[in-house]
Amino acid sequence: MSYRIGVDVGGSFTDFAVFDETNGRLATLKVFSRPDEPGAEITAGLTALKGRDGLDPAAVSYFTHGTTVGVNTVIQRNGHDLALFTTRNFEDVLRIARLKIPQIHNLYSVRPEPLIPRDRVFGITERTLATGEVLVTPEREDVGAAVDAARLAGCKGIVLAFLNAYRNPENERAVKAMIGKIAPELPVFSSAETWPIIREHERTITAVISGYVQPRVSRYLDRFETVLRQEGLACPLLITKSNGGVMGIDQARNDCVQMILSGTASGVIGAGYLARASGFDRILSLDIGGTSADVAVIIDGQPQYGVGELIGDFQIHIPSVSVSSVGQGGGSIAWVDPLGMLQVGPDSAGSTPGPACYGRGGTRATVTDAVVACNLVGHMPLGYGAVEVDHAAARAAIAPLAEALGSSVEAVAGDIINISVSGMYAEVSGLISRFGIDPRDFHLFAFGGAGAMLASFLARELDMKGVVVPPTPGVVSALGGLIADLKNDFIRTVYCDVTAEGLAAVASPYAALGAQAEDWLRNRQGFKGDARVKVLADMRYQGQSYEIEVPLEGAWLDAGDGAAVADAFHAEHARLFGHSSPTAPVQMVNLRLTISGATPKPALLPLAPAEAPATPRLEVDAWFDGRATTTPVYHRVDLRAGHRLDGPAIVAQDDTTTVVPPGFVVHVDTLGNLVITRREA
Amino acid sequence: MAIDRRNLKVLANFCAAAADAMAFTLMRTAHSAFVKETEDFSCQVVTREGLAFASPRQFGAPWYSGIDYAPLIEMFNDYAEGDICITNDPYSGFVATHSPDIHIWKPVFHEGNLACFVVGHIHNTDVGGAVPASLSRSLTEIEQEGLRIPPVKLVQQGVLNQFVLSMMAANVRLPEQNIGDLHAQIASVNIGERKLKEIIARFGYEDFIDGVGQILDYAEAQTRAILARVPDGEYFFADYADEDSVGGKPCRVALTLRVNGDEVELDYTGSDPQLGSSLNMPTGGRKRHPLVMVGLTYVLYTLDNSLLLNAGTLRPARAVLPEGTIVNCERPAAVGMRSLTCAMTQIVTVGAFAQALPELMPAASPGGNAIMNVKTSARNGRPVMASIGPVGGGGGGTPICDGSDGAGGATGFLRNTPIEISEAEVPIRFLRYGLQPDTGAPGRYRGGLSAIMEFEVSAPETVVTARNRNRSIMPSWGLKGGHAGVVSRFIRNPGRSDETDLGNTDVVRCNPRDVIRVIGPGAGGYGDPFERPASAVLRDVRRGAVSLERARHDYGVAIVADEVDTDATAALRAEARPKSRIFTYGAERIAFETVWTQERYDLLTRFLADVPVGWRFFLKHRIFEAVAFLPAEDETPIDQQMGAIFREMRERYGL
Repeated sequence: MSYRIGVDVGGSFTDFAVFDETNGRLATLKVFSRPDEPGAEITAGLTALKGRDGLDPAAVSYFTHGTTVGVNTVIQRNGHDLALFTTRNFEDVLRIARLKIPQIHNLYSVRPEPLIPRDRVFGITERTLATGEVLVTPEREDVGAAVDAARLAGCKGIVLAFLNAYRNPENERAVKAMIGKIAPELPVFSSAETWPIIREHERTITAVISGYVQPRVSRYLDRFETVLRQEGLACPLLITKSNGGVMGIDQARNDCVQMILSGTASGVIGAGYLARASGFDRILSLDIGGTSADVAVIIDGQPQYGVGELIGDFQIHIPSVSVSSVGQGGGSIAWVDPLGMLQVGPDSAGSTPGPACYGRGGTRATVTDAVVACNLVGHMPLGYGAVEVDHAAARAAIAPLAEALGSSVEAVAGDIINISVSGMYAEVSGLISRFGIDPRDFHLFAFGGAGAMLASFLARELDMKGVVVPPTPGVVSALGGLIADLKNDFIRTVYCDVTAEGLAAVASPYAALGAQAEDWLRNRQGFKGDARVKVLADMRYQGQSYEIEVPLEGAWLDAGDGAAVADAFHAEHARLFGHSSPTAPVQMVNLRLTISGATPKPALLPLAPAEAPATPRLEVDAWFDGRATTTPVYHRVDLRAGHRLDGPAIVAQDDTTTVVPPGFVVHVDTLGNLVITRREA
Repeated sequence: MAIDRRNLKVLANFCAAAADAMAFTLMRTAHSAFVKETEDFSCQVVTREGLAFASPRQFGAPWYSGIDYAPLIEMFNDYAEGDICITNDPYSGFVATHSPDIHIWKPVFHEGNLACFVVGHIHNTDVGGAVPASLSRSLTEIEQEGLRIPPVKLVQQGVLNQFVLSMMAANVRLPEQNIGDLHAQIASVNIGERKLKEIIARFGYEDFIDGVGQILDYAEAQTRAILARVPDGEYFFADYADEDSVGGKPCRVALTLRVNGDEVELDYTGSDPQLGSSLNMPTGGRKRHPLVMVGLTYVLYTLDNSLLLNAGTLRPARAVLPEGTIVNCERPAAVGMRSLTCAMTQIVTVGAFAQALPELMPAASPGGNAIMNVKTSARNGRPVMASIGPVGGGGGGTPICDGSDGAGGATGFLRNTPIEISEAEVPIRFLRYGLQPDTGAPGRYRGGLSAIMEFEVSAPETVVTARNRNRSIMPSWGLKGGHAGVVSRFIRNPGRSDETDLGNTDVVRCNPRDVIRVIGPGAGGYGDPFERPASAVLRDVRRGAVSLERARHDYGVAIVADEVDTDATAALRAEARPKSRIFTYGAERIAFETVWTQERYDLLTRFLADVPVGWRFFLKHRIFEAVAFLPAEDETPIDQQMGAIFREMRERYGL
């Protein structure tokens, strides 16, 4: 007996994915999250699993966890009281940021208040040049004065971010050592240690966020570990990372910045894995919950990575799975503006009070209410009994809007859905252009509580190949953590010309990165299997102000083969942007290395083949595009591989409802995915 | 699908998505930093007649949301599927407003019927001409400002006109970049065309055309609702750029704002004559030209953040732009630096509205954001030229919060260049980059602090330019008791024996170990600084935004041992002070306007309007010199003084 468990703690629900290694079966569970008492949801879930499936905690061999505690700390601004030490005369780095104001047409617009106020920023007399040469060495007396001032101001930790520390971290190291002697109780977060990239604001804010979330995250992890040990789990605990991998809990406690987007990243990893295993090579993942709608581009199971992902008001610059927010999900509020135009959002009913139809105090019409008023969902109880859908309440919430617009409740409800979908269309359309992909080659992979409800409408507008709804859309994030590999990124800013001479200087940083990566995987994570190493460089044409990520072969660097490196860059530039300049000089800004160790993956079990046509549990009058249409409602548990359902149709299941508009057809594939495509004319 | 107010938002979202797709495609495929970093570009979808109805929501230059391409569209009698037209000539249609801005437009057809156009521009780093980057205040004729491409079909029914490309390549300094950017523009309109075709197919041709009309009508109705809340009346405001030419006279932009019900007229009569420098704005006198409507767009959007920005937004407005003036120049006037003048039109628009809505308008953002460039050489002799970022003032204090620090208000759309990038690229060493204390003018809500940048040069024959610098002579104004700003500074070798105040210069030659310091002009304050809570002043002192001395002097707040001394503060704040007017001007402006009163300017304006355009700039300077020679205690009424000067001028020059 051996189990592997992935747990994803979200704002409203906590999802468990349990993989039974003895029979290859995947079990899922959903319980309420307990923000009031973190850890309680884990106890509740394990208790339920014991009772339901006879799970023995001692038999759990693997446990991963994703959480939004880091990102929430930034959004709610309840993190650590920090001081920031900068190079003297450059103390305003957080206030100036990159200068641009958020709303360029608004004369009142101001940048968000920094996480560290200016009176807790202290200049240190020190200087490193762009070449890495140390011009001024920090003095203990100067540092001591700054530490005293920081203590006096009540600071509980210190972030160090000195100019050009990406090139030579010596001064940051020296000051960290001094602080260690002067004030050993203060944790120090060095920018070069956190993520040593060029661009002072980007490096500083990344280190600041890391320090800002650290105590809350590590306290959370402590509690989490305690609870699991009390429950009798003996296996190592792993935490999912923003880069789509996992790391040991001890690293997570110290290197919090790595796990800040762990929740969203694991959803994308889970979607990528399921889609790939089911034979879908190109997908857009669509994760819609009560308060968010997120999309990611996944090709051959690999998500796109980006830097500069948004955390609340700030960007973080470590490699993260690139996820774009495309809306606010089912909670967006519909209203009629003073000029009589129907609008949706930006206000949201969130998870509390939530949509009117959930009967938890919400009274204003939301997108979820519109879907309910069109009678598209809410015909069968949701398995976990979290919410009951009140059709009358949904209609009552929309009635005032219908009156103002001189129209029927159902028609306005349809319009609300259309506006919401057109808003997502606009965002996804931008994303498609940003990545330069063609949506007609892509499936929309829907998950989250509301993804399958709206996916077909969105795919229809985007003219996509189809929609895929996996068997358990509610636990894709938990599953993502379960199947994620051990993975870590390493970086050195090398800033050299891509020539034989320039690359000579890269050999030693490359060797150092390799050794560091091996040490991480073998010694710190205790991994014994085969390691995968990916070498990447951030490169650009000389004079360009941005870099692109180029995969390299380690052998090129060992051999100092400038031509091969440059060719790889030209080719990647042409692939991304449609043009390249093969004769122009090329620069390498950062050398990066990603090491990963594969973890075992659950096999997806085939669904039993259909022996007879599917029978609906009931028929309802559902409203599609302003017309009432007799629509069969199926239950997912009744469906078998090979079933084909013509739209309009509704498929209910424990954790979501799939809506299939007229003109579409559903195939149930051998793994139990619902594959929805346009019906051939 | 018929469009009404229930589903208008759906069409609007689709059209915005098309514009976003154009912008993303442009940013992804363009070559130059102007597009990728500075975002100096535009993309729009315009009606068959040329009215913009969709723009990217987050990207691009903020000036062109209400643009009208009609003058360019009308240049050709017929369009065919697959055509793309191009121009950068300011004097052909007045849509391009200086030569680096290359505009293209492409028709979108549905089943053979013209449905709309997709359009856009990129600011090219260089289009040839007298100086690198094609822009300099000192240029006097459009011919010096580089290549001008008259409106021509760049692509005819899908076939690229290679001659246009080779002519461009032959005339510019960085041909690869221009050609690369042009291909990006073509990719952008092509993606726009494809999106629009999908949208038109989805909604149907007739309903699409009708729906687009409704989008424009909706924005117009929003604007009318905003303007209806502005008290009717005539509001005059003028402001001055430092110089009308290198070493010249103050440059005046004047505006009479007439609010009548839900409509507004922006009358720029009284603005300077067409100048012998490149500060002129080529508007063709078009009554809704973007360059004279930017300020209005900012004001309207500030009053209502839900405002849809398109050509409909501007329908209730019209501008009066007298011919042969700085706001409507005639060929061959140079126009390269029209952005400096445009910033002044934005400032006077806010100033005029501030009289109508003093509780809702902010104090002046100073404008004159200096774009710093360094041309130098590396140790191995390799020439290096790079922009090291903008250095400007903050946003003006607003009725609800302090102005934004470092950049704000109308000039907040630029991004900076990281110090580490500049140091890696350019052999200079930065000594300081940050916010300068005491540069945000005091107020109940203070102005945002100015940026300061200081660096040391390492190579001989280094040229530092501060393009677009302004406000080094007359500072920006405060509102409702808020103080006026401080002037911008440009200093070589501060604190050394050879310290040089570079005044209004925008180009300086440097040698190794020379240090350059630039401080942006100060933003105005809003409201009486004595009404600013002492705790907010204390916070500013603690955060280094305000010095102890200014806290005491300007805010009447005594701070002792890092705490507010309540009694001393009460005593300071009880002292009688002169009652403030709606605007607070700097001493320099007050002194200037003692001589150059509104009456004197009115007389000058009328006189210059009567002489040939080519004479105006010359005569303005002669008249300024004559006025400067008037005896200080001259009691003659102004009209007689000026009448005498005008007669003398007519006689001397035989006019």
